[in-house]
Amino acid sequence: MSIRHLGKPVRIEGVRKAYGAAVALDGISLDIAPGEFCTLLGASGSGKTTLLKALAGFETCDAGSILVDGRDIGPVPVSRRNIGMVFQNYALFPHMTVARNVAFGLEMRGLSRAEIGRRVDGALALVSLEGYAGRFPRELSGGQQQRVALARALVIEPDILLMDEPLGALDKNLRQAIQQQLRDLHQAIGATIVYVTHDQEEALFLSDRIALMDRGRIIQAGAPEDLYFKPANRFVAGFLGECNFIPAGDGRPGEVAVRPERTLLGHAAAAAEVRLGGQIRSVVFTGTGYRVIVDVAGRVVTALTDSDDKVARLPPGSDVIVGFERRHAMTFAA
Amino acid sequence: MAAAHIQNGAGYGRMLGRPAAGLPGWLGILPYGLVLLAVFAVPVLFLLRLAFGDAGFSLAHFIRIAEVPIYRSVLLTTLSISGMTTVLAVVMSYPLAYLMATVSPRVRSILVVVVLLPFWTSALVRTTAWIILLQGNGVLNRILMGTGLTSEPITFVYNLSGVLIGMTHVLMPFVVLPLYAAFRGLDLATVQAAEGLGAGPWTVFRRIVLPLTAPGAMAGAMIVFMNAIGYYITPALMGGPAQTMIAQMIADNITRELNWGFAAALSTVLLAATLLIFVIFQRIFGLERLMAGGGGTRGGEAFRLTSRGRTSGGILTAACGLLVALFLIAPILIVFPMSLGSSPFLSFPPTDYSLRWYANFFATSKWLDAFLRSLQVAGLSVTASVVLGTLAAIGLSRTGRRWRPLLETVFVLPMIVPVIILAVGLYYLFAPLGLVGTIWGLAIGHTVLATPFVFITVRAALKAFDTNLELAARGLGAGWVTMFRRVMLPAILPGILAGAIFAFITSFDDVVLALFLTNIRTRTLPKLMYEGVAHEIDPTIIAAAGLIILVTIAVLAINLLLSRRR
Ligand SMILES: Nc1ncnc2c1ncn2[C@@H]1O[C@H](COP(=O)(O)OP(=O)(O)O)[C@@H](O)[C@H]1O
Ligand SMILES: [Mg+2]
Repeated sequence: MSIRHLGKPVRIEGVRKAYGAAVALDGISLDIAPGEFCTLLGASGSGKTTLLKALAGFETCDAGSILVDGRDIGPVPVSRRNIGMVFQNYALFPHMTVARNVAFGLEMRGLSRAEIGRRVDGALALVSLEGYAGRFPRELSGGQQQRVALARALVIEPDILLMDEPLGALDKNLRQAIQQQLRDLHQAIGATIVYVTHDQEEALFLSDRIALMDRGRIIQAGAPEDLYFKPANRFVAGFLGECNFIPAGDGRPGEVAVRPERTLLGHAAAAAEVRLGGQIRSVVFTGTGYRVIVDVAGRVVTALTDSDDKVARLPPGSDVIVGFERRHAMTFAA
Repeated sequence: MAAAHIQNGAGYGRMLGRPAAGLPGWLGILPYGLVLLAVFAVPVLFLLRLAFGDAGFSLAHFIRIAEVPIYRSVLLTTLSISGMTTVLAVVMSYPLAYLMATVSPRVRSILVVVVLLPFWTSALVRTTAWIILLQGNGVLNRILMGTGLTSEPITFVYNLSGVLIGMTHVLMPFVVLPLYAAFRGLDLATVQAAEGLGAGPWTVFRRIVLPLTAPGAMAGAMIVFMNAIGYYITPALMGGPAQTMIAQMIADNITRELNWGFAAALSTVLLAATLLIFVIFQRIFGLERLMAGGGGTRGGEAFRLTSRGRTSGGILTAACGLLVALFLIAPILIVFPMSLGSSPFLSFPPTDYSLRWYANFFATSKWLDAFLRSLQVAGLSVTASVVLGTLAAIGLSRTGRRWRPLLETVFVLPMIVPVIILAVGLYYLFAPLGLVGTIWGLAIGHTVLATPFVFITVRAALKAFDTNLELAARGLGAGWVTMFRRVMLPAILPGILAGAIFAFITSFDDVVLALFLTNIRTRTLPKLMYEGVAHEIDPTIIAAAGLIILVTIAVLAINLLLSRRR
């Protein structure tokens, strides 16, 4: 299957959208490079779907503009935008077979029967559904439906591929398998993808870049590592992975944020740059090790230890040293 | 509820497997079953026997139907008028259903009233209103000539256009309602997916919306066609001789020709056609679709208008939908103000308003008597049908699964079989018993017509009733009677009341049974109106129509208030 290896760049400038009094998008600006896998991450109601619908053209914007490859697509009707979309509930046409679903967009483009057949076969092969062309959507499992939706969106060779929580309805094992497939697929076709999820692990796993959204705004956009290790504020730090908020120590004012895997306990903490005293509250076995929850001056601090760490065997209430290296401490302006 | 067994102290353990203890299923089913047998099956079977020859088996009547050109043409007219009505109803329903699905909730509820109000207003009143609107010196012709658009009155009624207008108006809601449900059941994302793949508005309609809403439209269309082939009063009043349909032919053969055998043969043909459509309908859609719209979105967002607004095609469709809504409400909008006029000549809008014709209505003994008699008959048949229908519904829920589908089908048959057949059959059965010309005969007939409505609504309420509540009550030591009174009855009461309201309207609006089963001393309001409309429409008839509309609005408002409270 020949999907162009050139996705188009997208520029979103000051987009606003309100539903009556409720502001769904509050001045969104974002640049997405060609071929980039960009994820919109945020809690439910943060405006992710609304932004995606504005990109696709299903909703109008109150202000701002969206440029694809430098051209404002505001006046372009949905049917001419050449944007692929995978809906959260897949939105397969229930009265058409898998093959007819995938062929639909090609038929709209007036391709010849032979060409359509060839491309549909190619798209179904790409998502490993070769034998399912004659089935109806209701005869497929959730994961298969999801792949049909993906094939249907990809087969038109879209300038941008939009995906709205496409794995939301699948169980965990299947989700992980498809995440891997999505990564491989993106590497193979190099399309510009705008992906929506509320699952931070999924976002970290898939994305070249993550835009974290909250209440209609983008709080921080950047590479997964940047967001994880250099969060712009407490909200970002708390949203992506776990975070301990610990007094800065050494008599300094304020607090710093330290990831649990960077938080040291007992022996390991003895040589740390910053050390604090605390009491063990509880210890939970996680398989790879233990999660130790410590009370540090009234704050709850979580640390992860190896399974052979003696600290984990201390009874609750025991005194323990908590420590961290200064380079692992994240500080925020606010 | 004399049938109830008191079983105090029934152990919880014994109850678990058998919720059927208490009222035995057969005892609930029996009363309605017997009534159906005596005053539905027997008269219809009488007719069938007559159709195949009084003495010895003969197909003479059927051969006559097939061979005499005029009868053949009546059959053809019946089919073609029903077909045209069905097509018109479907074509007109689409823009209206689209409009209803794509407006704000407030406008939507206005549109729902616009559909439901005429739906529940007596067909006779609506037919009367259309005649007033469309006749030679009617409202429409006066407007057309007043504005100089035409110089001669156009004949809209007593011809094909009259029948089609009247019948489409009466039957269209059967398509609008399921179609509206189908539109609401459309997943917005499915439509958007098609657009995103490059489909324009017309393609989206043809390839996505049309196929996905077609089952709803189909269900409605079959109900319309099934009703249309047996329709009597609208074609009789609004058509000309060329529009004689089979129901009218049956009536004529009894009242004018006194040819019972031939009328029975015609009835048999009509019955067979109706039952055939019914069986097909049931096979495709199931019984539930007969009353409820069905539908509902699978997880997604329901089809609606997004912030992009309508396309030009959408605007055009919405405008057509608005016109159809206007068509539906027009008779009521025009007739009701007219009934408040004071001039002895029909005029719209009235030059000045008064209650003169209402006063005349209540001062004239024939009108007042007919009105009171209608209420009397309705009271009797509502009471009987509520008891029969409720018992039957409860009884059925306690009957083995094997018999349920069959009984359920049999119990709704009076809704399916054309009223003209029941009327002729009951006339034949009741005449020798001296029941024709009494309100009792009519009340029995109305009970047969109305009980299916109670049965269906109570059955729906019972399906929603959690059987565990019954078990819990019994487990806590309540006997069946106490359980019924304190737990089940409150839960199914809204269903019973809704059924009672449908039953009331069914009885209060009936013309066809009244035409055959009452005489000049026992005639009901609709029958008196019918006689007037068939001759000449005077202002008191319009007041009577206004009164029926008011009663309908009042009854529907009660229904609405009761369902709100829940
Ligand atoms: N059609 C709509 N009408 C009114 N409010 C809406 C509509 N769609 C979304 N919203 C509101 O806009 C905000 C953002 O919604 P959405 O974009 O769906 O969030 P997300 O996809 O991140 O969960 C929410 O507060 C939501 O209630
Ligand atoms: Mg969303």
